[in-house]
Amino acid sequence: MLTEINPLEYLLSPNKRIYWIFLLSSLLIALAYLWINPRDRRINFSKKLWLHPSAMLDYGYFVFMAIFKVLVILPILFGAKEVTLWVNSALLDQYGFTRLEGFSYTQIMLMFTISLFLISDFTRYWLHRFLHAVPWLWEFHKVHHSAKVLNPLTFYRVHPVESLLFGLRYSLSIGLITGVFIFLFGALIDIYDILGVNILAFVFSIIGSNLRHSHIRLGFGEKFEKFLISPFQHQIHHSKHHVDTNFGGFLAIWDWIFGTLTLSKGVERLKLGIKTDEMKNFRNIRNLLFFPIFSIFNKLKCLFK
Amino acid sequence: MKKIIIVLSLFLSINASAVNKDFFDNVIIANVNQSIDSSTNLIILIEQGDQQAAKISFSNLVRDWKKVEATYLLGDLNENYLDTPRYIDIFHGNNEDIKPQLDLIIESDDDLSYAIYKHSHKTINALEYILFSKDISTPRVKAIALIMAKSISSYLTEILDGYQTHQTQFLKNEQYASAILLNALVAGTYKLKEWRIGDVAGLSKKYKGEPNNHRAEYALSGNSILAIKSILATHQQVINSNKYKDFGDIAREFGANKEIDTAIRNLKKSIASANKIQDENFVGIQGQALYNATNALMKSYYISLMDRLGFVSKVLDADGD
Repeated sequence: MLTEINPLEYLLSPNKRIYWIFLLSSLLIALAYLWINPRDRRINFSKKLWLHPSAMLDYGYFVFMAIFKVLVILPILFGAKEVTLWVNSALLDQYGFTRLEGFSYTQIMLMFTISLFLISDFTRYWLHRFLHAVPWLWEFHKVHHSAKVLNPLTFYRVHPVESLLFGLRYSLSIGLITGVFIFLFGALIDIYDILGVNILAFVFSIIGSNLRHSHIRLGFGEKFEKFLISPFQHQIHHSKHHVDTNFGGFLAIWDWIFGTLTLSKGVERLKLGIKTDEMKNFRNIRNLLFFPIFSIFNKLKCLFK
Repeated sequence: MKKIIIVLSLFLSINASAVNKDFFDNVIIANVNQSIDSSTNLIILIEQGDQQAAKISFSNLVRDWKKVEATYLLGDLNENYLDTPRYIDIFHGNNEDIKPQLDLIIESDDDLSYAIYKHSHKTINALEYILFSKDISTPRVKAIALIMAKSISSYLTEILDGYQTHQTQFLKNEQYASAILLNALVAGTYKLKEWRIGDVAGLSKKYKGEPNNHRAEYALSGNSILAIKSILATHQQVINSNKYKDFGDIAREFGANKEIDTAIRNLKKSIASANKIQDENFVGIQGQALYNATNALMKSYYISLMDRLGFVSKVLDADGD
């Protein structure tokens, strides 16, 4: 297990958000953006941004969580494989052996690739929305929103409970879809991938997913932002005034359908973080880990008084 | 130059991983050829009117046909061949009771070329009924048996031709070839466990607690356990042969040693359990053991299938934002 601990793996694995190719593509997009928008150069090249206490905490917390995940979260998380087996077995029990015929290998691969991507993005949207809407979940999610400045590693600034919930979401949603597809098509399912990553996720990652947590105010324009979440739309989500909008991962359609979409147009100044009086509760790793638990405990105590 | 070497070695490694011609010839083609030989032999014995010998030959045909059926891939290579096995075998594929229909045909004076018009009347199941409950020394019964045996033989020949035509298609796409092969194993194991064992032993959902040996696939001729053993032997040919590079070897090349070892272990258990079944009696502890072993085998195939997908690693970070 200890050999699995390697924070550098995050740079080398295409399954990771900060895979070097994704970072490089984001950097190139950022440079192009700054070339066109010189007024944003000052903040983005400023030492204050990259060495801000919030950013420093992100770096330290990232290393801590890379270790913590392997040692604590992964061993207790059931995998998508178990869910797939269970779903397939339940369907076999209920309907007997079934094979959908008449679909080509290419069609099945296409359907599976798109279904996985859509279900994954859809469940991300809802879990993210619940993290904001359910008071005790918000206590955990505040860890992520307590970042005063944004950088690609802010993506990993999440409480272990939140990591666990996202892991469960993954296992359940991917396991469900895979179980259904295996039941219907057996081994004829596969996905279109690049370097082992769902091609859709790869493409959306390469077009600047690391800029979501940055100060590159890149929007996609009014029309596209109803379909795809732009980096700036996610930065808007991190602002105090729009925290309950733009929950989407890659797609904006969920926000659009469920009425939580804010477009870039018209949004100028962003005040990042959470309420000023709460920011002091998230200043170090110990705070990030224990304050949410402490806070929930206090709330429960008040409730049962 | 370096680029050329990389591309070349990649090409070679891809080809080295493919289900190769040896496998195709030794399993797929060899099994069809053997079944054609069995059907030809059966036709000769029926023509000679030797019922006893024909019954033994029928067992050989059952054994060899089950091998063809267990790895039937032709429907995936060309959908025109999807229904061909149903023209040979209607076990669980047809709800009609063909016995009274065949009795009527025997009793009538109608021209047989018109009387035997249904595919189901010319299947191995129909032939079993004729050979094991009628007297083929009667000219009309003998003629009916011959029509059936010739029909089966003709469809087997059609399958052979089909495989030979589509051999290149099968061999050129390793990914697709292994997918349809694995699908055949999974489907075969489900049918084995649920239809051929569970329904008989009263362990399937449909017949839970209602065992009945008469539900066995070849209850009349007493070839049901032979059929099961033949299916399992075919799985052995596919995943655990030392004569040619099989599916198990390919799985190992992709690092699925543990999964394929589990599948082989479960297959061996299934074969051992099948060998313990006496007098075609599936009811009781032996039937239960065979059911459990084949269930475990099916599960291990599903796990291999999921590992082949490797979907766990195909999604970006499970964290949110």
